[in-house]
Amino acid sequence: MVNSHSIPTHSPTAYCLLPTAYSLLTPLRAMLENFSFRTIVEYLPLFGQGLVTTVWLSALSFVGALVVGIVLCAMNLQRGWLFRAPAKAYIDAVRATPLLAQLYFLYFGLPRLGFVLPELVVGILALSLNSGAYISEIIRAGILSIPRGQVEASVASGMTYTQRMRLVVLPQAFKVTIPPLLGQAIVLVKDSALLSLISVAELTRAGQLLASDRFMPAEGFLTIAAFYLLLYYGLKALAVLSGRWLGTAGARA
Amino acid sequence: MTKAGMIQPGLTKTGMIDFRGVNKWFGALNVLRDITLSVEPREVVVVCGPSGSGKSTLIRCINGLETIKDGDLVVDGQRVGDPATNMTQLRTEIGFVFQSFNLYPHKTALENVTLAPIHVRKIPRAEAEHAGRELLAKVGLADKVNAYPAQLSGGQQQRVAIARCLGMRPKIMLFDEPTSALDPEMISEVLDVMVAVAEEGMTMMVVTHEMGFARKVAQRVVFMDAGAIVESGTPDEFFSHPKTDRSRAFLSKILRH
Repeated sequence: MVNSHSIPTHSPTAYCLLPTAYSLLTPLRAMLENFSFRTIVEYLPLFGQGLVTTVWLSALSFVGALVVGIVLCAMNLQRGWLFRAPAKAYIDAVRATPLLAQLYFLYFGLPRLGFVLPELVVGILALSLNSGAYISEIIRAGILSIPRGQVEASVASGMTYTQRMRLVVLPQAFKVTIPPLLGQAIVLVKDSALLSLISVAELTRAGQLLASDRFMPAEGFLTIAAFYLLLYYGLKALAVLSGRWLGTAGARA
Repeated sequence: MTKAGMIQPGLTKTGMIDFRGVNKWFGALNVLRDITLSVEPREVVVVCGPSGSGKSTLIRCINGLETIKDGDLVVDGQRVGDPATNMTQLRTEIGFVFQSFNLYPHKTALENVTLAPIHVRKIPRAEAEHAGRELLAKVGLADKVNAYPAQLSGGQQQRVAIARCLGMRPKIMLFDEPTSALDPEMISEVLDVMVAVAEEGMTMMVVTHEMGFARKVAQRVVFMDAGAIVESGTPDEFFSHPKTDRSRAFLSKILRH
């Protein structure tokens, strides 16, 4: 109980604002009083395990997504429709549907079709297949950003398609691609939270456990938010570092 | 597949580059009209004409950067566009210098020069690097061996581009407006290198409006307009006594500046 009228003040403005400030602060103070840091500390090993799982399954999924992305991009850059059409259809299908629907399809649908896989494998598969579609477009944009003159110069010097990709186009596209790829990695880490819904014991799952075991959703989800923020800053630092490294790696064109 | 330098069956060897009734369209636009032109070995031919007249397209057809619609184009005894012709192989014999240099920005000057010799010609790296250093010295850039293109001026970049072509030891060098993108004070350093290449007996086709260069080394000037060769003659004939109204009008415009 706070009686704001009992506080003496000489400024009419402050006098008007004070009740507002108190009405905002009061619930915050009440919140902090109810917020159990002790439980968070108690659950820290669980959060730690969740964090580790999120990190390695995201890393694995990212590698998988890179493979999917490179294959899709290679198909998409072909002249003939034979490879290009399925790649385009796949990319559209993935981008048009929610990741959750894709995840549920793999988790609930595949066993019905005869493929029974552990949830962790399903999760990594879903993230790889989903992120791969976006990554293929990032790589394609990187390759297409290389000026036509570069291709012409290498063609004119008698290079084969493979040689000019390997020696001229891809090394340049690589540098353009790194920053958006790290952006996609950040998205992937956040998307991995959905795996909690198929009971993969990752970071968000740890928050859910705290929420349901002790009925402490605020503690649970604020803590995982903090951990995600940590991961985000880690990847962002990597992006800055890679940018700096690429900037000094020679070509400044 | 025919080896480079050998003449494909059904062809009589005449020039190093032989256009016989070549036509090309961009949509409805007839960009090359019935081109017949033969360039002898060691000959230097300058191609000039107003913008859009098809000069660049003409020389881009020679190494297959553009395809021709009909007619015959025979280069070094190989019919361009013929399925029997190994274009990749033929291109190693043809150096091409672009208006915008097109150096590889992620490679040093030396790496730009040695990339194709090492990977296409399969010359051992040490040998290619030795030759590359010599070529860069020849174009006056011995001190820029390890510089990246972005650290070089336009004139220096174009000289590296010429050295890059020479590294392949080509039989033919094509130049597509090599000095048009350069500041005036850099033009002569590039032209000097081109003169030196011409004097060594290289077969050259040069799209340029540099009359000093044409007078100095060209045996022939070809004037194009609207996709057709309108006039052709020695530099002296062409610049001093142009025969057609079109070439007179063109020359009066480029001479005014």
